[in-house]
Amino acid sequence: MKSSLKCVSLLLLGLLATSPARADLKVATSLTDLASVAQFVGGKHVTAQSLCRGFEDPHFVPAKPSLMKSIQNADVFVSVGLELDGGWLPLVLPGSRNPRIQPGAKGFVDASEGVTVLEKPIGTVSRAEGDIHPLGNPHYYLDPKALEVVAHHLADAFSNLDPANAADYAANAKAFDEKMDASLEKWQKQLAPYKGTSIVPYHRNFIYFAERFGLKLFTTVEPKPGIPPSPHHIADLADAMKKAGVTVVVYQPYYNADASHEVAKRAGGVAVEVASEVGGVPAATDVFTKFDSVVSTIAGALAGKAGSR
Amino acid sequence: MLRPIPVVMRMLACLAAALALMPAPAAAQTSSLYSNLANPAIGMNALFSGTAARNLDRAYGLHFDEAEISLISVVDPYWTLVSNIVFTQGAVDPEEVWARSTNIPAIQLKLGKIRGTFGKQGLLHTHAFPFVESPIVMVNTIGEEGFKAAGAEAAWLTPLPWYAELTGGVYEPTGPDGDHPLDLGSTRHDNVPFLGHLKNQFDLDDATTLEVGESYLQGRGGDGVRRAALGADVTFRNVPPRNSNRGGWILMGEYIQKGSSAGGSFVREEDGGYASFQYRLSQVWWAGIRGEAARNSVADFMVDGAGAPLAGAVRRGAANIAWMPSEFSFVRLEYSHARANRGVHRDDDRVMVQMSYTIGYHPAHAY
Repeated sequence: MKSSLKCVSLLLLGLLATSPARADLKVATSLTDLASVAQFVGGKHVTAQSLCRGFEDPHFVPAKPSLMKSIQNADVFVSVGLELDGGWLPLVLPGSRNPRIQPGAKGFVDASEGVTVLEKPIGTVSRAEGDIHPLGNPHYYLDPKALEVVAHHLADAFSNLDPANAADYAANAKAFDEKMDASLEKWQKQLAPYKGTSIVPYHRNFIYFAERFGLKLFTTVEPKPGIPPSPHHIADLADAMKKAGVTVVVYQPYYNADASHEVAKRAGGVAVEVASEVGGVPAATDVFTKFDSVVSTIAGALAGKAGSR
Repeated sequence: MLRPIPVVMRMLACLAAALALMPAPAAAQTSSLYSNLANPAIGMNALFSGTAARNLDRAYGLHFDEAEISLISVVDPYWTLVSNIVFTQGAVDPEEVWARSTNIPAIQLKLGKIRGTFGKQGLLHTHAFPFVESPIVMVNTIGEEGFKAAGAEAAWLTPLPWYAELTGGVYEPTGPDGDHPLDLGSTRHDNVPFLGHLKNQFDLDDATTLEVGESYLQGRGGDGVRRAALGADVTFRNVPPRNSNRGGWILMGEYIQKGSSAGGSFVREEDGGYASFQYRLSQVWWAGIRGEAARNSVADFMVDGAGAPLAGAVRRGAANIAWMPSEFSFVRLEYSHARANRGVHRDDDRVMVQMSYTIGYHPAHAY
C-alpha cells in the first residue's frame, strides 16, 4: 500500500516537473475589438479570443455552456464593461469555474475603465426609455482614441500578470497608439467633407464615432433602445429624414436590415451595412481594417457612391 | 417623613438623566455612516394568470400567481449570495437562498436552500417556463417547480474537450408535501438524500447546440423505504448568430420516473415525459407546442364524483403564443387539451392567459 502511494506521488511530481513552462497568456474577451487590441498589445506572448463574434449582437450573446468551457483555462478576461455584456457574462464567468478571471481577481479587466463615457443618464434611469445602459453608452470601441486607452489598460494588466514581458507590452501599446493616430488622420481626411452631416444608425451605438468624426446622429431606426420599429415609426422617420435632407441609414449585420432599407427607401436615401465590431464584415479583420471599412462605407454612402437605394 | 419615590418615577428620572448625558446629534449628519453603495442588485418579477376550464371548480378571472424578489450580491472575496423570495397569496417562500463560491478551480460550490440540479425544466424559474403549466410528470415526481431543498451542491466542469458538468449534491430530508411529491423525509440519521447530475453540451454548428442530461435523486421516505427519481433530457437549441434577438428555436424532451425499492427491487411508480418545440417568429413573438404523457399520475381535473384526486394515465397537448415587447415583460395565450383514463372528467380543455413583468435587476437566464 505504502509503496503504491509512493509510486503515485512520484508520478504526480514527475508530471508537474515535466509540465512545459507556460509562455503565453490566454486572453478571452467579450468583444472581437478587445481581442484585436489584446493581440496587438500582447504580441507573441498572448493568444486572444473573443466570446462574441463580430456579426453577433453583443447585447444578446446566448450564454452557451460551450462559452464557459472555452474560458475555463483563460488567464485574463477582458469585459467591455458598462453592462453591454451584462445579459450573459454573469452566467458565463462563474460558469467557467475559473477563479483567475472572476471580477476582483487579477485576471479580470474592465476595458471601459479610463474611457471617457458618453451619454451617462442624468437623473432617474427608467426603462420607459427602452433598454438603456444606466452606466452610459458602452459602444466606445467605435472611437479609435478610446481603443488607445484600452490598449494601455491591457498593457498594464498583462504586465501585472506577466512582469517578465512588461517592456514588450508597453512598447506594443505605444506602437498601437502610433499606428492608430496615423490611421485616424487618414480616416478624418476621408470624412472631412461630410463634417456636420447627419446619419441614422439602427441603434444608438454610433455616438462615439459621430463625435470623433464630426458627424451628427439624426435619430435611430429603433424608436427606443431594444424596441423594434413599428410601421408607423418607419413612416414617421422617413418623413422626418426627407424634410431634413438626411439620406444615409447605417446598420450592423445583426440588426434588422429590412427595416433599415425600408426607412432609407421611403426617405429617398440609402442603407448601408457596417461592422461596428471586428469580424462584422469579412474586410474587418482587426480594429484598423474595421475602421477602414466603416469609414469608407459611410463616406461612400454620404457621397452617393455606396449602399442600396 | 419622606415618601418613597414610585418605581415608574425612578425609571423616568433615570431615562431623563441618560438622555441628558447623551451627546448632541451632529448638526449635519450625513448618510455616509450607512453607505448603500454595496447594496445587492434587486429585481422583482410579478406573474399573473387567468384560466378558463370547465372542469375546474375555480372562478374565472385574473389571478395573482406570485411575485419573486431577487437579491444578488457579492458577500466577500469568497462568496456570492443569491436569493429569490417568492410571495404568493398569503404565503412567503424563501424559494432559493444560497451562497456560491467560484474560488475552487473547476468546481462551483452552492450552499443553502437551492434548486437541486435535476432535469431540464426543473432548473427554470416559473416566469421562464416555456408553457403556463408545468409538465404533469414534474408535478407528480420531483415537484411542480423542480426539486427544492436546503443542501450543498458541487458542480465539476470536467477537463473533457466539450462541456461536461458533473454535479453531486446532498440535501435535508424533505417531503412528502405539495412541493415535494418524492418522499425523502425519513428522520433516520442515515437518511441523507443525494443527487447526481451529468450534463453534456455540444456545439453542432454555428447556431445549433445539443444538450444531454441525466439526473438521479435518492433518499429514504418517512416509512424508511428507499425512494428515488431518475430523469433524462435532450435539448436542441438554435440561435442564429446574426439574428440572435429575432430568430431561433428550441426542441426539448424530458423523461422522469419516480419509484421506490422495498425488498431490494426498484418499483416504478409515477413516470412520464414531454416533448416541446418553441419557435421565435420575430423579436417580439414566440410560439410553442408541447405534447406530454404520464402514468399513475394525477392532474387537477382527474377527480372522482366526490372531488377526490384519482391517479391514472393522462395525455395532454398544448399550444401557445407569446408577445414579448421587451426582455422585461410578456403576455402569453395558451390552449391545452388533456385526456385521462380515470375520473369523472375524461377530457379537459382550457384556455390560459399569463402576464409577466420584471422590474429592477433581471438576472440572466440560463441557456
